[in-house]
Amino acid sequence: MTEEYAIQLSGITKAFGSVVANKNIDLNVRQGEILALLGENGSGKTTLMNMLSGIYQPDSGTIRVNGKEVSIHSPEDAKRLGIGMVHQHFKLVDVFSAADNVWMGREKAGFRLKRNRYAEMEAIAKKFGFDIDPRKKVCNMAVSEKQTLEIIKVLSYGAKIIILDEPTAVLTVQEIQKLFTVLRKMKDEGHSIIIITHKLGEVMEISDRVAILRKGEYITTVNTAETDEQALTEWMVGRKVDLNIDRPAMEKTKPLLELRDVCIRSDEGTTAIDGVSFYIRGGEILGVAGIAGCGQKELCEAIAGLRPIEKGQMIHKGDNIVGLPPRVILEKGISMSFIPEDRLGMGLAPSLSITDNMLLKNYADAKGPFVDRKQGRADAQQVIRELEVVTPSTETPVRRLSGGNVQKVLLGREIKAGPNVLVTAYPVRGLDIHSSYAIYDILNRQKKDGVGILFVGEDLDVMMALCDKILVLCHGKVMGVVHAHKTTKEELGLMMTGSLDLTNKYEDKPAGIAKDSLFGDGQQKVEG
Amino acid sequence: MGMHIVKRENLPLWQKVCLYVGAVAAALLLGAVLLLAIGVDPIAYYNRMFTLGTVGNPIAYKVYANYLADLVPLVLTSLALSLAFKMKFWNIGGEGQFIMGALATAVVAIKLGGVLPTAVVLILMCLAAMVAAGIYGLIVAALKVKFGTNETLLTLMLNYVALYLLTYLMETKVPWNFLLDPTAVRPVPQSFDKMVKFPSIPLVGKFSLNVCVIFVVLIGLLIHVYLRRTKQGYEISVVGDSAGTARYAGMKVGPIVLRTVFLSACLIGLAAAFKVGSTGILSTTITEDVGWTGIIVAWLAQLNTWAIFLVSALVCVLHYGSTVAAATFAQVDSSFANMLQGVILFLVLAADFFTRFRVVMVKKGGSDHGNG
Repeated sequence: MTEEYAIQLSGITKAFGSVVANKNIDLNVRQGEILALLGENGSGKTTLMNMLSGIYQPDSGTIRVNGKEVSIHSPEDAKRLGIGMVHQHFKLVDVFSAADNVWMGREKAGFRLKRNRYAEMEAIAKKFGFDIDPRKKVCNMAVSEKQTLEIIKVLSYGAKIIILDEPTAVLTVQEIQKLFTVLRKMKDEGHSIIIITHKLGEVMEISDRVAILRKGEYITTVNTAETDEQALTEWMVGRKVDLNIDRPAMEKTKPLLELRDVCIRSDEGTTAIDGVSFYIRGGEILGVAGIAGCGQKELCEAIAGLRPIEKGQMIHKGDNIVGLPPRVILEKGISMSFIPEDRLGMGLAPSLSITDNMLLKNYADAKGPFVDRKQGRADAQQVIRELEVVTPSTETPVRRLSGGNVQKVLLGREIKAGPNVLVTAYPVRGLDIHSSYAIYDILNRQKKDGVGILFVGEDLDVMMALCDKILVLCHGKVMGVVHAHKTTKEELGLMMTGSLDLTNKYEDKPAGIAKDSLFGDGQQKVEG
Repeated sequence: MGMHIVKRENLPLWQKVCLYVGAVAAALLLGAVLLLAIGVDPIAYYNRMFTLGTVGNPIAYKVYANYLADLVPLVLTSLALSLAFKMKFWNIGGEGQFIMGALATAVVAIKLGGVLPTAVVLILMCLAAMVAAGIYGLIVAALKVKFGTNETLLTLMLNYVALYLLTYLMETKVPWNFLLDPTAVRPVPQSFDKMVKFPSIPLVGKFSLNVCVIFVVLIGLLIHVYLRRTKQGYEISVVGDSAGTARYAGMKVGPIVLRTVFLSACLIGLAAAFKVGSTGILSTTITEDVGWTGIIVAWLAQLNTWAIFLVSALVCVLHYGSTVAAATFAQVDSSFANMLQGVILFLVLAADFFTRFRVVMVKKGGSDHGNG
């Protein structure tokens, strides 16, 4: 056995029931390297890493750490072997300070809280160039700080092999750069790092080597310097893919939906959306960019009538829609679909069949006391056919479908209703490349039919390619509306963190107010 | 060796049936050991139990009538609970709602029996029971909708309020308490079976069928259609599956919850009316635990309307047969019957768990697969 490998996995297989998540995987990690683990959603990346960190045990296969065969039964075993994992969902105690969170999980924490725990943590932070306050409570931390804390936690337990599960998903462009600097420093210190991701740009930037998984199987490992994004995609997807997203140029219509100085509260009662103005025309896609949780959900819910608007106006084709019940807004042709993180929480009833889910928004239209399942079945068949949903039948419960098919069902139902404004949040969340492109196609077809689309997204590359304009939110405030083909990722990143405010860039026209607004406040003259 | 639990779906029907039959067999085997230990022939005992003591019994028709009298409230209560459970509203208050319905029935029967025509009194008894039980359930639903209180705790606690109200009324001998027999010295419940009673239709020989049985089958049919075909039934499924989605689809979740819980409690009230209207007397043990057993029945039947009929029938055989068998053998008293019933239900519920999950043994270490 070669000495230089920090981790050697051979023949690892793991099945959940009849689903084989990992099949006969061989993977080697060198000492002092950054290895990117690349694969689409559902390709088994996280499962594989969970076996390294002791959460799951492999059904068969061997794990060697520094050349020695080991079996890892629990996260404690992994800790002892010097393996640490930073999960996608942080595992921190909210009401504890940073240093207390680190202290808590320590192998020999002792009975007493020692006073020097703050100094200890600061020393580690300094060594790797982290920027963190050991006394700050987790509940007061931003997402990026929490992630930093997770990494410090792992380092302070003496981990030499660090696994990061999609660490960049929650970060802005600038924060990603900071993270990468730290990772390089850790590598120089001799740590081995495995970074799970499906973002190709980041793979190319940070990693030394890339290991690729596809549908639970190990495909290959290549040196990053000797490959390119196109080749990686082909390995990942298994065939040639066109990575370009269409942006058809359309004749724009008058504003369909206009918001003016809208304020919305969050569930906790804080201001989620603060004085936001924007408009959507028919035949355009307006992107909404922002760090996760800065008002996107509240905005979508308010447009659909699910959340009260505290202040401000919202008009649809010139008619006020503030305060109308959800059903009336639906009837006006405004459709909203929101894919939450668990992907099933809003918009679909997971245990019900596709047919029943098709009926969700129009079941009340049927005459008499009975539900018209015949119509629902016909709708389901049409959506299955047109959007190529893979399902055994129309009566299959939605939760049995794969993520891409679930989202197609949801979007299919919304489009079937023939909306003129389509609000869609995270429609490609968790989808593989092929399904994502299918969704972009669906949206573009709607755009060509003159529908105004509000696209709340995560991936800036996608938004810059798909949207006509991008509205950037930061803590519920608009930082500006930019043309997607003129802006850069850096500009968007700065706006997302609030460092750049472009709302007053054009003095003659305040951001988010149409020249031909239907609000009737005298601005129509401009177009006249 | 370690073990973990894996969810399984789509278990073939015959395997499910095997699991349940196995569970019952295991319980009976356990019971047989205990019976042998106290010197009772288990085969004779079980024979008596599962034939409900009808073999060689000159008044077997009475056994069947009594069996059906037990079955009617259980089926109806289970059906009613399944409505609320389908909406994920955990109504544990079947007992309390049943008692409220029973009280209302008795009040109407005693006050109006003999005053108005019997048919009218019977209808009024049913209506009064439904309203009383319905409101008792509605209180909890309203609190949940308005303040987000926990319905499990509230329905559970209201059971005791109802039970002790009933006990108070059954034991307090005062002039105003018309629920007690005024001619008796001790507190004895006022009987009204001479004045109003649900009629029976004579069928084969001496056996006659209580009309309530027919009503219950009809109600079962209606509930089946209601849940499967109507808009309201559809709303119940959606709210139960995901309240967020229901709201998103423009459904008014609050009123749907109120409506459904009221209906559920009403039907439990009706079950009480059927029971009290057939026995013609109130007592502190009038519920015979149908509010509790109904929960198990609804759960085992996985809220399927027809399965509820089947499961209720089997549970009732168990219940009724145990009592009969215990009465036959001097060494065994009714506590043994209850215990055996408990063991059978416990093991059947365990089998139910294994139809949904399976336990996988994990060998420690992957070393035995190593190839060096």
